Amino acid sequence: MAGSLAASAFFPGPGSSPAASARTSKSTTGELPENLSVRGIVAKPNPSPGVMQVKAQAQALPKVNGTKVNHKNVGANAEESIPYTTPKTFYNQLPDWSMLLAAVTTIFLAAEKQWTLLDWKPKRPDMLVDTFGFGRIIQDGLVFRQNFLIRSYEIGADRTASIEALMNHLQETALNHVKTAGLLGDGFGATPEMSKRNLIWVVSKIQLLVDKYPSWGDMVQVDTWVAGAGKNGMRRDWHVRDYNSGCTILRATSVWVMMNKQTRRLSKMPDAVRAEIGPYFNDRSAITDAQSEKLAKPGNNIDSDATKQFIRKGLTPRWGDLDVNQHVNNVKYIGWILESAPISILEKHELASMTLDYRKECGRDSVLQSITTVSDECADDHPGSNIQCDHLLQLESGADT
Amino acid sequence: MEVGCNHAQSVGFSTDGFATTTTMRKLGLIWVTNRMHIEIYKYPAWGDVVEIETWCQEDGRIGTRRDWILKDLANGEVIGRATSKWVMMNQNTRRLQRVSDEVRDEVFVHCPKTPRLAFPEENNGSLKKIPILSDPAQYSRLGLVPRRADLDMNQHVNNVTYIGWVLESIPQDIIDTHELQTITLDYRRECQHDDIVDSLTYIEEGEDKSMNGSASAAPHKEQQQQFLHCLRFAGSGDEINRGRTVWRKLAR
Repeated sequence: MAGSLAASAFFPGPGSSPAASARTSKSTTGELPENLSVRGIVAKPNPSPGVMQVKAQAQALPKVNGTKVNHKNVGANAEESIPYTTPKTFYNQLPDWSMLLAAVTTIFLAAEKQWTLLDWKPKRPDMLVDTFGFGRIIQDGLVFRQNFLIRSYEIGADRTASIEALMNHLQETALNHVKTAGLLGDGFGATPEMSKRNLIWVVSKIQLLVDKYPSWGDMVQVDTWVAGAGKNGMRRDWHVRDYNSGCTILRATSVWVMMNKQTRRLSKMPDAVRAEIGPYFNDRSAITDAQSEKLAKPGNNIDSDATKQFIRKGLTPRWGDLDVNQHVNNVKYIGWILESAPISILEKHELASMTLDYRKECGRDSVLQSITTVSDECADDHPGSNIQCDHLLQLESGADT
Repeated sequence: MEVGCNHAQSVGFSTDGFATTTTMRKLGLIWVTNRMHIEIYKYPAWGDVVEIETWCQEDGRIGTRRDWILKDLANGEVIGRATSKWVMMNQNTRRLQRVSDEVRDEVFVHCPKTPRLAFPEENNGSLKKIPILSDPAQYSRLGLVPRRADLDMNQHVNNVTYIGWVLESIPQDIIDTHELQTITLDYRRECQHDDIVDSLTYIEEGEDKSMNGSASAAPHKEQQQQFLHCLRFAGSGDEINRGRTVWRKLAR
């Protein structure tokens, strides 16, 4: 049962047999992708309909992952008495310098001047002074906390942070968590025991619930922790708050499974890895199971005349979308998916929640199309009404949907 | 870009991201970039802390310049330099406008009085002109389309996106073996969501080839590759940007 849970986390779909699903995933030999299915994006209208709410990506660039960590915390085992294991994904560690270039042109303020402007003081005594915002492990090792300042290039046309920018923070905290705990084995988001076995983490599902989007200059505080997911998976949750007011910005949960780097096949969790990470599982949930199921339910597409479908074809990975393995970074998928969302929705609504199921990897030469199906649309435009969209990102040539 | 905006905001310019002075807003004027020149000597890695210093000053009678120096905070080493030219444009007519004395007084009170350049040396790369390019280009990537994510608050393509497009048509074997050392971009026209853009790359012969055949010229040629670029509208062929990139061979 646990096994099927893990598999169903990867291929959620009522009635799909885990065994069959697992076979499908293994048919891909390498980099070429096939399918990405997204369910249940629920948009809620902007309370002031006059303001444009376009969910543009702005220039949100994934954080840089470098091979070398100059941070003085790299020998973190000395700092924390509890060895903390929170392995992460297959984000590689070599610098993707296209992002570095853009990161250079969009900048990290000198710390002193920044703190002067913001009059920033640490508000919680359990959080040590974190001068450069690298983050700290708190609550006896069960939670990692890091603050981020929203940069000008992270905001979209509606002047609030884009969903991609927020997801980049999630990625950054996850990796910093693992790094601070001293468990970033061989640069591939794998623990030492995983690296020995050529295993890497891959994301299979992400679910986000956004309450409020931050603006340029806001400071956000991200808490993240891990737990088990079925027998072979790991769950990582995040809770993001506005640093000054404490209001929730977003909550997110994600499920990760292990894959063999060479064969690209999913793997069970070896006992040695479980021994590494098990002690750090935290039962807390950012999104409850009930909420999660509700969000993930596909829309009602009973009447094909009434539902509207929007397609955007010819999406190809750009130079800046790829990591050193020539794979598309998973945050980039969000931008592609939203490309096909109709502008009428984007203009008057903001993304309230999103559920993503990752099925296949995508490489440089893939040509994709993004299909949006709008369902459950309210006839009137009054504030508070929700629209649900189902999205599919697939290879233009792919037969599977 | 972030530091520039933060500088402007901290001295009381508008906080809408446009860094306009009071008079500019009254006259419907905004700053637009004319030219951008960036040199990176050493790329930072994940977890590094970079310190950026920026300032602006007058640039002739036409506009302003903004310069940056980037340092690795840990050791104080200069890892990059950049300079840019800006002019004022009328938001509605989209035409360039000279800086009036009123505006100059508002802006330059916050700038260093003694001229200071990120690139003080003579004949530096930031001054080199980029020639008009004539077909055929050696490399190209056609049919680039702005994504929603590329648009700024004005629904125009953000100038950082152009860098990505310029690099789209660089051959993969250069990308695999070199890193970008210098990029210069001349911005000519604006681009919007419905436009289609072609990116063209031309190999630029290094001038050192024609110098005396000293030993220093030969290894220099191997260590660097140089290209000229053009971004233009697919339909009309009008230029959006012109650029030059210099690539440094990686010691892998």
